[in-house]
Amino acid sequence: MGRLYTYLIGAVVSVLLHLAVITALWVQWESPADDVFIQPNYVAAELVQLAPKAPPKQPPKASRSPADITREKRRQKEAAQRSIEKLKKEKDLARKKEREKVELAKRAAEQLRQQEADEKQRREQKAFDDLLAQEAAAQDEQDNERAANSYRQIIQKRLSENWSRPPRARRGMSAQVRIRLVPTGRVVGVLIVKSSGDPAFDQSVEQAVYKAAPFIELQAMDSRLFELKFRSVDVAFSPEDLRL
Amino acid sequence: MVVENLSIVSLVLNASVLVQAVMGILFLASVISWVMIVQRGFYLSAAQRDFKTFEETFWSGIDLNSLYREISESHQENQSTTGIENIFRAGFREFHRLTQANKTPADAIMESTDRAMRIALSREEENLSTHLPFLASVASVSPYIGLFGTVWGIMNSFRGLAMVQQATLATVAPGISEALIATAMGLFAAIPAVIAYNRYAALAERIYGSYETFADEFSSILYRQVHAR
Repeated sequence: MGRLYTYLIGAVVSVLLHLAVITALWVQWESPADDVFIQPNYVAAELVQLAPKAPPKQPPKASRSPADITREKRRQKEAAQRSIEKLKKEKDLARKKEREKVELAKRAAEQLRQQEADEKQRREQKAFDDLLAQEAAAQDEQDNERAANSYRQIIQKRLSENWSRPPRARRGMSAQVRIRLVPTGRVVGVLIVKSSGDPAFDQSVEQAVYKAAPFIELQAMDSRLFELKFRSVDVAFSPEDLRL
Repeated sequence: MVVENLSIVSLVLNASVLVQAVMGILFLASVISWVMIVQRGFYLSAAQRDFKTFEETFWSGIDLNSLYREISESHQENQSTTGIENIFRAGFREFHRLTQANKTPADAIMESTDRAMRIALSREEENLSTHLPFLASVASVSPYIGLFGTVWGIMNSFRGLAMVQQATLATVAPGISEALIATAMGLFAAIPAVIAYNRYAALAERIYGSYETFADEFSSILYRQVHAR
């Protein structure tokens, strides 16, 4: 009688205890389950170099302008010389009309000088405009670079996520590929620019690019920027975090 | 990337059949062992308490005949008699029966009484240590069962890892996580069982020791009575 009673109590206590444990686990595990996000540990592929499509033409004013000016000056001086010679000939030919001719030559010289001054002013104006344009271009370039960098980071991240390095990869190995892209983000061509020396490594790099494609993020990009920098992109792959 | 739902329920439900079976066994073992733990706890503490109260009445100078009658009555009314009462009753009944016969020699009376008490003692020892072997088994075996489930689960998830092209931690992590639940459950079942077993085994031994002491003392009292005749 009493024996049975203790068993009953035991059963009730045991079941209650287990239910409590289960509910405690349920409640505790349920809440963090929403934001459990498994971040795989990938090998980082360093985006060492992104060769810009066209080398930015930098017309350094300081180097170009003086040369131009001297050339121009020389040309104008020659012209002046010629006219003076011509005047001299005329003087020889007609001494009588020398006065008038001198007068004329003087006037011509005056005109020439005037012309030269005008030219100079124009040139200065132009140089100033050039400088302004150059500054604007530099600013533009900077903006482009900033925008491009964010896209580069996206590409880099995607490539490094999708790159499964071969077992023979060693630190110090590096392969450079040229990826040709279209504005939709699709990859239309991959070319190994600089081989790492290991065919498997090169193969893995190529595969990484195709696996990472398409880069749909590029669709949001300004088309001018795309043409400028992302039509073809050079990427260097090197396993930096290998512990070998 | 897949956001895994890692709630314990989904982990248990998504586990393979064998791992689920292991978990089920462990859960059952845990439930039953807790029933035993509580039951033994009640029983042993009751035995200890009853022994104390019986000893007090026994040494209070009460007439042994009336004590025996009291106990016999409660026994016949099918009320539970405690372990120490059973020993006393067995010994005294034998002694009483033989002394009534008158012709029996004193040595034979004592021998028979001692034997009767020894039988009652061994029966009580049995009562004290019921279920303790079960607790011992749960304590020692359930970690192994859990480990088996874990090894099996991890084995499977690594086999799955070999199949996929892109081997990431995310492909094996849920499998390993679910497999480790089996070990956790094994330990969950084993730890209380170990503690309870150690505690109750020691307690049962102590109670049995005090029963033995009482039996010896009682035997010496009866010996004096038999030779004083």
